[in-house]
Amino acid sequence: MKKREVRVITCIICPIGCKAKVTIENGKISKIEDVECPRGEEYVTREIEAPMRDFFTTVRIKGASIPVLPVRSTQPIPKDKIMDCVLELANIVVDAPVGAGDVIVKNPLGLGVDIVATRDIDRVKER
Amino acid sequence: MAKRNVDIAVIGAGAAGLAAAIKAKEKGIENIVILERSEELGGILPQCIHTGFGLRYFKENLTGPEYISRFIKKAQDLQIEYKLDTMVLEITPEKEITVVNSVDGLLTLRAKAIILAMGCRERTRGMLGIAGTRPAGILTAGTAQRLMDIEGYMPGAKVVVLGSGDVGLIMARRFAMEGAKVEAVVEILPYPSGLDRNVVQCLEDFNIPLLLQHTVTSIHGSDRIEAVTVAKVDASGKPVQNTERIIECETLILSVGLIPENELSQTADIALDSATGGPIVNEYMETSVQGIFACGNVVHVYDLVDHVTQAGELAGESAAKYVLNQLPPLASKITLKAGDNVKSVVPQIIGGKEPVTLYLRVKKPMRDVEVTIGNLTIPKRMVKPPEMVVVDLTRQALEKLEKRDELKVSIGKRARK
Repeated sequence: MKKREVRVITCIICPIGCKAKVTIENGKISKIEDVECPRGEEYVTREIEAPMRDFFTTVRIKGASIPVLPVRSTQPIPKDKIMDCVLELANIVVDAPVGAGDVIVKNPLGLGVDIVATRDIDRVKER
Repeated sequence: MAKRNVDIAVIGAGAAGLAAAIKAKEKGIENIVILERSEELGGILPQCIHTGFGLRYFKENLTGPEYISRFIKKAQDLQIEYKLDTMVLEITPEKEITVVNSVDGLLTLRAKAIILAMGCRERTRGMLGIAGTRPAGILTAGTAQRLMDIEGYMPGAKVVVLGSGDVGLIMARRFAMEGAKVEAVVEILPYPSGLDRNVVQCLEDFNIPLLLQHTVTSIHGSDRIEAVTVAKVDASGKPVQNTERIIECETLILSVGLIPENELSQTADIALDSATGGPIVNEYMETSVQGIFACGNVVHVYDLVDHVTQAGELAGESAAKYVLNQLPPLASKITLKAGDNVKSVVPQIIGGKEPVTLYLRVKKPMRDVEVTIGNLTIPKRMVKPPEMVVVDLTRQALEKLEKRDELKVSIGKRARK
């Protein structure tokens, strides 16, 4: 049986924000309508075939003046791996001091990216 | 009370203040001091842990902490003096600043020039007049952001967001990522207040419903918020009877607008623009009081920090020139007034000769438009309220501009050629 699906994707490439109508047949894009430029078509295709997202969250930090350290992935990750990646980092606790760019988790879930700190946090003396 | 003379005092160490101080120092001013009420430099950016900063200024996709740390490091490398945990109590039109902190006590700074970079504040529940009880669990989006991403607290597991400003959208995603159920984002307007990018990546990605033309009409709960009543609104924004429904929640996040913070500007008798809520500035970012400059969200609320940095640099350069007696008078004084579909224009006063960048806020979305400034027209493909419209006026364009005391800036459908 032929599986046909129509999805609406908002293009975010420029402020026009085309609402692209994408027809997908048997898992393949067969038609893209209502997009005004080739860059939009490219974006919409990527959004359907392999959407990627910047990834950022916090992890716990000990020995610092604040309890959380902001982190990001070095490259975007697949959209459907965001929550897996969040869970992977949920129990991470690092020790201060930390410098921006320090690798906090190497290659989580084999995604081919590292999770790095995005700010410096000094060590504070125990009170 | 101790007194001290400085060349330039910068009030606020966020993106605008740091950029201003760095630029002023680079332009040869040695005696600069930055006054910051928080315990660290950086303003709001340390808590903005998401990416999207610096795409224009650095041509790189940075997080908030990464973006601002470049300016913090530069300010420190340039050995610019700063005072943290320091509150400015008053500024006079004579540029005397009353400051208090636990190191200096009460201190008076006599500045040759002042740069205002105090940023903005969030609108709160009290400013909305929502009916109901006054339980715990109602927070502005920025407060929730600080709690989660700096202080490590989770403000609730079942959340409704009122208002679809960018910070609200970003917090909807943060709550979802941290395991909360975000029941809905409720927006009174027929279109989102935040950027498309954020609607897609913060709401659609996490299957969070966006209820356009809806609002929260009542808050329920005694100690802690338990639910909100949400209703449809009509074209005038009034709730429609019999459309109410109750959504259970334990946290209500407000993302309902930002207001430039100008109590200090008022103590210095600086003229404010009722459309922006910030000081009226000329193309040097100088306010109505000579030698007092302003930049960033204290002037008008920006959507991109990259533009805030640029405004800061402009104010810093102007203040440096002012101190060095090198700030030329404007060629003429042209006041720009908001016309059709324009909510506000910054700067409000231009000289009409040197190149200048105008920042406009529009009232409603419109396609294939032209921006009209007196007799000049500049085409734009699309204008939307969440996105500041940036208009660069070149020297050549300004040569053709009719020089009147007052010119209207309007946005309308492009005339067919």
